[in-house]
Amino acid sequence: MADIYSIVTSQQLSYEQKVVALAHAAEDTLSVLPMPERTKYYFEKGVICNLNEGNAPYRPRYIMPDYAKAVRQGVKFLQLDPPQNFDELLTFLQVLYRHVPSITTYPVFLGDLDALIEPFITDLSDEEVKRKLRLFLIYLDRTITDSFCHANLGPQATRAGRLIMEVDRELEQAVPNLTLKYDPAITPDDFAEQAIYTSLCVANPAICNDVLNRNTYDRYGISSCYNILPIAGGSYTLTRLVLPKLAALTDDKEHFLKQLLPEAMRCMADYMSARIRFIVEESGFFESHFLATEGLVERDRFVAMFGLVGLAEAANHFANGKKYGTDAEADAVAEQIMETITAFVNEYECPYCEIANHRLLLHAQVGIDTDYGITSGIRIPVGDEPESIYDHLRHSSRFHRFIPTGCSDILPFDITGKQNPAAVLDIIKGAFSLGQKYIAFYASDSDLVRITGYLVKRSEIDKWNSGQAVLQNTTQLGAPTYASAHLANRKVRGV
Amino acid sequence: MALVRKIIPQSTVDGPGNRTAVFLQGCNIRCAYCHNPETQAIHDAEAREMSVEEVMAEVRKGIPFIRGITVSGGECMLQAAFLTELFAAVRGLSVETGHPLTCLIDSNGTIPFAHHPELMAYCDGVMLDVKAWDADVYHRLTLSPDNEVVKENLRWLLQHDKLTEVRIVCLPQQAVVTTDVADNLRHIADVFAEAGKRVPVRLLRFRPYGVVGELADTPSTSDTEMSDYASLAQSLGLF
Ligand code: SF4
Repeated sequence: MADIYSIVTSQQLSYEQKVVALAHAAEDTLSVLPMPERTKYYFEKGVICNLNEGNAPYRPRYIMPDYAKAVRQGVKFLQLDPPQNFDELLTFLQVLYRHVPSITTYPVFLGDLDALIEPFITDLSDEEVKRKLRLFLIYLDRTITDSFCHANLGPQATRAGRLIMEVDRELEQAVPNLTLKYDPAITPDDFAEQAIYTSLCVANPAICNDVLNRNTYDRYGISSCYNILPIAGGSYTLTRLVLPKLAALTDDKEHFLKQLLPEAMRCMADYMSARIRFIVEESGFFESHFLATEGLVERDRFVAMFGLVGLAEAANHFANGKKYGTDAEADAVAEQIMETITAFVNEYECPYCEIANHRLLLHAQVGIDTDYGITSGIRIPVGDEPESIYDHLRHSSRFHRFIPTGCSDILPFDITGKQNPAAVLDIIKGAFSLGQKYIAFYASDSDLVRITGYLVKRSEIDKWNSGQAVLQNTTQLGAPTYASAHLANRKVRGV
Repeated sequence: MALVRKIIPQSTVDGPGNRTAVFLQGCNIRCAYCHNPETQAIHDAEAREMSVEEVMAEVRKGIPFIRGITVSGGECMLQAAFLTELFAAVRGLSVETGHPLTCLIDSNGTIPFAHHPELMAYCDGVMLDVKAWDADVYHRLTLSPDNEVVKENLRWLLQHDKLTEVRIVCLPQQAVVTTDVADNLRHIADVFAEAGKRVPVRLLRFRPYGVVGELADTPSTSDTEMSDYASLAQSLGLF
């Protein structure tokens, strides 16, 4: 209860943030999920972490509505007819976004924004479109006060996409995150270069390897922190295995690989299955929520993300002082760990995950604010990066292949890249051809920085650190992470 | 073998796209504004003798991330025979890996390209410094007797479709050594008009970093001057 009192009386939380925190506290008074002894043990050791998903899930964690379908058929529950012109479309989307639930209570996915907009702007001048887009994007940034929110662009070049990027450069906002789905055979170089230039100005969009990600399901979108999820579906849950905490329980690699890891994975998978069952069988979400009843999401298009974090530190723990990222021995241990995990998820059957063939899907979880000495997913720790960016990207490619529902690298680039986005594109093309799946970057001098996946403004971090309330929830997460993960020391890539 | 000053595995300022840039030691002129004066001496303890194979080992590491290589200097054409071998090896690597690679030369234009047909067959293009048009101004800037060869090279490269871009370093008008950028631009425009061909002209701002001698304390060329030159270049159709 002391907790609730401190939420109620906090001067650092905004009103909305208090409401969300209170709802969370209320949910956590329930205990409806089974918690066997060993599962409880791994929770207590910090090996399994439910990312504060709450004790009684009443909606899937990530929801990816089929916005194109909504635009075609309207939304009865919201009394919205199919929009007929650009103004109607923007209002339609604003209203709909407001009602898309998620773990953060804000929508984590805003759709293929360029494709949604393109058919509505044919009769409008660039200036008119940009004027309206500007208001629309400002509205999103100030009302979706959480950076785990994502809109997608591409792979086709569109006028809408260009205009969105132009406005994005002017506004310098943290929301929404943008990702360009990139396929060198479809996306023209000049469009990709504009995206890179924009990213070096405002740390957005990130670039997703469309060729490697598009066959994960029939239709995918990128949401939140680089989650690759089915459109008209989403993810019930994301629970994560904190590998370094598990490694800390033994110094014997064989014991780790043969006993601890399989046992912890089974506990986590069972726990995830229980969460899925509760959402599907008890929460009533799929029976009652308009997104489900109007066919904008379908129950059998949801997956469950089996998260991993800290592969680097776990591998290093068993690698005799060698370092993941630059040493073959540590990399080989990491590969063994990944193969053990892959074999487990390929074999474990989970409920209600039809689109994933009833399997949990691996996800390189990017980390949370309280992670100390734990590197995002399968990334190389800050400070241990290989001298050469080429070696860094080759390394990523080797490990990205294990992860279907999102893994990424974040690279700060020297500002000279701005004068030659084609050079950055060459590097991305090379990395993607080797198997790298997703890359985000920002200029080393930018106010907007990527924390682990989401964006925050350095200036807002300073505000928060000095005790002032800030609009974005993610600033609160970002401020400690920026410091604890030493992100200011990320190796700047001087292209 | 060549005397190599340094190799930069990823460079965005030495031609189109991402390139591995190889800087050879030694230059045959002495520009007052040179910001790599340490590369001028024909021999220098910090430069390293490298074989084609050794340089290629570095180039290989860049695949598939680079669009090609650029050889610069000093003045890399002083070691033209090495360039021919190196470019032939790059061509071979391209075939071997299926990853297309181009070979560019960054040159002060004081050595006639027409005398190196084999090299030019492998070379995809030259980034040519046209430092000044007037011979006296050129002499004052570079200590080189005149710039006839540079002008011949400009015409020859243009004719043979081997000119990637022309580069002009713009000094402040007030500097103790300076050039007439406007005059230079007009003459280059005339050459383009005669040939009926054109390539991009890149205006580089003088900055004192690394510069030694007379211009060491000269401030960078102002934005106003740079934008005046840019407008002139634009009006001459040089972008
Ligand atoms: S040609 Fe280049 S390397 Fe040689 S002196 Fe001039 S600026 Fe320096």
